[in-house]
Amino acid sequence: MEHLAKSFGPVRVLDDVSFTVKDKEFVTLLGPSGCGKTTTLMSIAGFQTPDAGVITCGDEAFYDSGTRINRPAERRNLGIVFQSYAIWPHMTVAGNVGFPLKIRKMGKRAISERVTEVLDLVEMGEHAGRYPHELSGGQQQRVALARAIACSPGVLLLDEPFSSLDAKLRERARAWLKDLQHSLGVSTVFVTHDQDEALSMSDRIMVMDSGRILRSGTPEEIYREPGSRFVAEFLGQCNFLTGRLARAADGTHRLITPEFPDGIVVRSNEPSAEATIAVRPEDIVVTESPVRHDGPEPAVLDVSYLGDHYQYRFAVGDIQLIALSSHRLGTGAIQLHIPPDVATFVG
Amino acid sequence: MTTTADQTGRLGRRRATTLPRAALPASFGQALVWLIVVVLVVGPFLPLLYASVRSKPYYLPGGVFTLGAYQTLFADPLFWHAVQNTVWFALTTTVLAVAGGVTFAILCGRTNMPGGRFYGPLLLAPVVIPPLGLIVGWVAIYGQSGYLTGLVGRNLHLPVWNLSSIPGMSVLGAAVALPIAYLTCRASLAGTDSALEDAARSAGATPGQVIRRITLPMLRPAILNSTVLIFALSLEVLGIPLFLGTPTNIDFYASYLYKSWNSGATPDPPSVAAGAVLLLIAVSVLLLIRARLAGSEQRFAATSSGAGATRRPLDLGRWRWPLSAGTGACVAIASIIPLAGLVVMSGVRALTTLVAPWHLLTAANWHQVVSDVTFRRAMSNSLIIAGGGGALTVLLVVVATLVAHRSGFVLRRSLAPALVYPRAVPGIVLGIGFFWAYLMFSPGAFVRNNLWGELIALCVRNLTLAYVVIYPSLMRISTEFDRAARASGAGWWTIARRILLPALRPAMLAAFVLMFVTLLSDYDPVVFLQKPGTEIAGVTMLQYWQRGVVGPVAALAVVQVLIVAVVLALGARSQERSTCLRSAWNTWPNRSGPSASLTM
Repeated sequence: MEHLAKSFGPVRVLDDVSFTVKDKEFVTLLGPSGCGKTTTLMSIAGFQTPDAGVITCGDEAFYDSGTRINRPAERRNLGIVFQSYAIWPHMTVAGNVGFPLKIRKMGKRAISERVTEVLDLVEMGEHAGRYPHELSGGQQQRVALARAIACSPGVLLLDEPFSSLDAKLRERARAWLKDLQHSLGVSTVFVTHDQDEALSMSDRIMVMDSGRILRSGTPEEIYREPGSRFVAEFLGQCNFLTGRLARAADGTHRLITPEFPDGIVVRSNEPSAEATIAVRPEDIVVTESPVRHDGPEPAVLDVSYLGDHYQYRFAVGDIQLIALSSHRLGTGAIQLHIPPDVATFVG
Repeated sequence: MTTTADQTGRLGRRRATTLPRAALPASFGQALVWLIVVVLVVGPFLPLLYASVRSKPYYLPGGVFTLGAYQTLFADPLFWHAVQNTVWFALTTTVLAVAGGVTFAILCGRTNMPGGRFYGPLLLAPVVIPPLGLIVGWVAIYGQSGYLTGLVGRNLHLPVWNLSSIPGMSVLGAAVALPIAYLTCRASLAGTDSALEDAARSAGATPGQVIRRITLPMLRPAILNSTVLIFALSLEVLGIPLFLGTPTNIDFYASYLYKSWNSGATPDPPSVAAGAVLLLIAVSVLLLIRARLAGSEQRFAATSSGAGATRRPLDLGRWRWPLSAGTGACVAIASIIPLAGLVVMSGVRALTTLVAPWHLLTAANWHQVVSDVTFRRAMSNSLIIAGGGGALTVLLVVVATLVAHRSGFVLRRSLAPALVYPRAVPGIVLGIGFFWAYLMFSPGAFVRNNLWGELIALCVRNLTLAYVVIYPSLMRISTEFDRAARASGAGWWTIARRILLPALRPAMLAAFVLMFVTLLSDYDPVVFLQKPGTEIAGVTMLQYWQRGVVGPVAALAVVQVLIVAVVLALGARSQERSTCLRSAWNTWPNRSGPSASLTM
């Protein structure tokens, strides 16, 4: 996809969106609702026509505003799983899955063989004769997926397919879908607003906001180095500290803030007047020690018990910091320490 | 700290002690409402049944229980002829109306046909145009001596149609019934996620294949539903055979009953009652079947499970403009040209292709409408019934709806069917029923020979319309509003008056507008009740038309059309104003209401 743009009236939903999905790659478009991720997906599928840009799949042009190519949706050979699954209520499970094959005028035998094969793949073989309203949400999702992969599509498009499953089922479906995608080796574009889904399944994540791609990279890259405040906040919790960047006597770069006058060791090569860093709560080391450091003393604002750890909110000077601790803290003095190189600059 | 706790404690106590006590239990009022509705709805049928199994009319002395009336009916070859004609008419009408309604619903609701949104309301026009006005308009244009018939036959020497044949009458019947199929299918399409069609397209289906294999099969319940409904309604058609069938001597079931009642030589009330009972049974069986069908098609309802249903129209490609032109032509033929014909006819001595209309201009028709006492009385009576009857009906129906769906009254479940049934009963049957009811029960004497009797018959016949507007609105108001009011100490009537009725105000207004428009032009329940002095517009038009008075009837129809148009426009404006209020109440999750098809 190159330089895709689309406006609805005065609102720019897509603003110069460009990316490439490699063969067999699992790419996730992640962002809040209204960020343009579904519009992007529907533009690939052919249900929405961009105002400008180019979409190609292999060497086939799907859409090209320059040469006025706009291949209709039915001739793009894509598999798509809709948020509502869109399973046709008047057809059985087998009828749904066999429909793309029937349209391609395959023989009856070939269709029934392929339907059996695909349904077995999604573990729905024994439900072939049922109607959609007799299936649970998870089963419907599997049927939708089976239908999408029945005619070996060039690309698989998934539009928030887990949004109507409950939390436990969602976790299982995630692992299952990832395995399936891996074994099929089909390039996949996945749209979600759920950071856990994005982090756990993707080869590559693209975080979108206001019709632009803000950050693109592997899940680790995006989590560790979000690059912007929006991305950092969207992917998990984050603390932000603003201060002055200086070079210390030992040769390290340090960010000096009112809360941490000793400085936080950061990776940097250019000193600047002011900078903001992001620090994940799990990277802050919480210790109970009476040794006084410079700077304001942290005070506990509240604590939440989250099963395997405690999450603390501290007031440090004028700001609040969130940090995790494996045990409940005592009433004594508390020290917060940010180890070298865990912090990352955000714009 | 302690003072606050003490204060709240005292406040709480005081509130608890000052809770108002109702003088009567709420269920007394609820029972009264239930009784009124049930008496009004069931009342006419028992005397009807009784009259049909007596050897002599009730008002004559003597008489025994007998099935003689049915035997007389079955022995009459004219009866069987009328049955045959009616069944043919109903079949043809149903096929044409359903085919048209489905086609236009898909074209306007699911494709990128130009002007789809503009055609929507125009396709519904035959519902709001007064039925007799539409018939007169059709006769003026397409009838045997109609303007276009003359143009095609005499001036162009082409073969012409015959509107007074059964197929001809079916075309008019289909034009009137088409909105039912259109509305039912539109509602069904609006309730399904267009992702279902998108999924088929990404599976490789062309727009044509999508319509054939996905859209149409999913409409199956709506199609079946409207097919049965239109067929049932076609069985009771009275105006079309009276206006169009008379010249060719074609009678339908309803016109057969009407004529045997009115024939001065051998009036036979028991056999007319027997005929009405048979028609009632046939229609009721059909509607029971329809209710069954609706239930067994539940699986189609479980369509959209997720949020974010988007609308993406199917691309018709190069067929876009031809189909739009075709739809426009249908709208023009069905309602616009006949309406124009009606207006012209009211202003000329005769509508003919031989002389240009402006040479025949006359004010005589309008003068007669204004000066003729009967016309004037008919119009003012109709307005009284439409305004007063409409308001009373809406009030009764709104309270009955609350009792049916928001109360713990023991017999509440029987109210919803009682509110839906009257509209399903053939108007002429209901009219005969009320005739006997007023005659047999002593309170009937108070209303027998005055406008009240006609008002009651017309309002009972149409109260279903108020119900189908109010019920879905009530269902959209969360029961948590009631519970919150209850928790604050309000009783049932207080909740109804202070919480639910204000929330239902827009729906009540819409129901009133619909009632007014319908009551103004409805006539078939009254054909047996009308007496000199209690004329209403519809029946008067029917009687004058049969005497060959054409121009003034057209003028009266134009008056009806104008009043309807003004009331609809006013209603639409105040609806707009109350949209804000409604949307505030409707933020609660929707629950499904009855299908739009009930509106008919």
